Amino acid sequence: MTFHVPVFETKEISLNIGGHRVLHRISMQIFQGDYVAIIGPNGGGKTTLIRILLGLQQATSGEVLLFGMKQKAFTAWHKIGYVPQRATQIDTNFPATVLEVVMMGRIPKRTFFGMERSVDRDIVHDIMLKMDVLDLKDKLIGTLSGGQRQRVMIARALASEPEVLILDEPNTGVDVVSQKRFYDLLRQLNKEEQMTIVFVTHDVGVIADDIGRLFSVNETLFTCNNPKEAISCEEMSRLYGMDAHLIRNHHHH
Amino acid sequence: MEIFEYDFMQRAFIAGIIVAVIASVGGSFVVLKRYSLIAETLAHSALVGVAIGLVAGVSPIAVAVGLALISAWSIEYLRSYFNIYSDSILAIFLSGSLALAILIVSLAGAFNTSLFSYLFGSILSVSNEELWVMGSTGAVALLLLLGFYKEFYFIAFDEEVAQVSGLKVVFFNFLLITIVAVIIALSIRVVGTLLIGALMVIPTVSALQYQKGFAATIWLALCFSLVAVISGMFLSYYLALPSGAIIVMCILVIFIISLLLNRTS
Repeated sequence: MTFHVPVFETKEISLNIGGHRVLHRISMQIFQGDYVAIIGPNGGGKTTLIRILLGLQQATSGEVLLFGMKQKAFTAWHKIGYVPQRATQIDTNFPATVLEVVMMGRIPKRTFFGMERSVDRDIVHDIMLKMDVLDLKDKLIGTLSGGQRQRVMIARALASEPEVLILDEPNTGVDVVSQKRFYDLLRQLNKEEQMTIVFVTHDVGVIADDIGRLFSVNETLFTCNNPKEAISCEEMSRLYGMDAHLIRNHHHH
Repeated sequence: MEIFEYDFMQRAFIAGIIVAVIASVGGSFVVLKRYSLIAETLAHSALVGVAIGLVAGVSPIAVAVGLALISAWSIEYLRSYFNIYSDSILAIFLSGSLALAILIVSLAGAFNTSLFSYLFGSILSVSNEELWVMGSTGAVALLLLLGFYKEFYFIAFDEEVAQVSGLKVVFFNFLLITIVAVIIALSIRVVGTLLIGALMVIPTVSALQYQKGFAATIWLALCFSLVAVISGMFLSYYLALPSGAIIVMCILVIFIISLLLNRTS
């Protein structure tokens, strides 16, 4: 029954800041099991759109529905795992071990004075194993490499056992090998665990084979339902000034 | 030991230990939220309460708690809903409070030794009644800090992700600043309004030098704070020096040692 209710739905979202139009009448639906990439030029509003979806910023007009509920009434936030843009650039002096950071993902599921339960430890252990950060568990988050830190941040997001994973350009400062591994992992989460994935990026070429749909945001929204079709994406690139050859090149693999 | 034969010294040590514990634990979250100056600011607001209490002849500590709370909530309200830099808000409240306190005291002609003891602490004159207030209120503050430890920690680490995870960030920020206001007002007796900032901030900053996880950092800060307060009180007693100042000097020494031990070449 809930299957056909979109995980995220926006209806005619617009945002004006100081007379400047940032987003204009954006309507979209993201369904369970989708793998969606949101692309667009810097300053085109893709991060802003994500922030509005998550309630971190308010739209000037329009409506946001999360799992079919109005955003204000929505409480099941643990269903959403969020890895923000600055995930790889956090305060390196912050006193937190890898284990402490991943354990944060369990906090919404615990109560006042709720000590770590064995179920929390088990889940965190399994996720750290899956993300290949278990051997780093006692290291300080600030001492990790970009790729390691990225995996820790995703592990934290996964620790709340979300149904949706939202990643906002999490690749800044991450080396190529780690990126490859990261895309493999996203594919696996999407294919094997039917996790809905919303990925904000400027580097769509690398994941063109994985993604189901492509949303391009540059003030307005353009949806590309079959990103493997070069024509629609070329058209999109013409419309939005994106670098099309990335997508086409990849198509020959 | 002779030092413990006096009732007032026993009370002083109990008061010192209470303050050492709550100030360092509460201070950890404040430091990590990059909000170190809040302690200094709220202490000055508490001073307004002390001034009113002295002039009106009611318990200065009780009024200080009230004023610190009003100030804390106003600061958090301004920070959340207006476009003013956090540190500017603190600067405004800090100097504004001090000006107000000076005016109240001088209008009432009450510039006297009593005010002096609230400025610099007067741990030897803590009464039984004050000790009970400090103990009970301090216990509640500590209980809340430990009870919501993980929430405060998550919010300090990443406020937005914490919010998206469903934590009521605005509520927890108000709660934390409320607890901190109470801690500061309670600590005035021990180290005074001018020095409490040191006791909240320096133990944590010293502990941070050792590059440990959060739990370990809080424990270290707590130990440093206890060592500083206890050794400060011994020194104060045997050398006849003002307790607040010597306690702050002790914690500064710990900070410098921590820095030197952990310097990166």
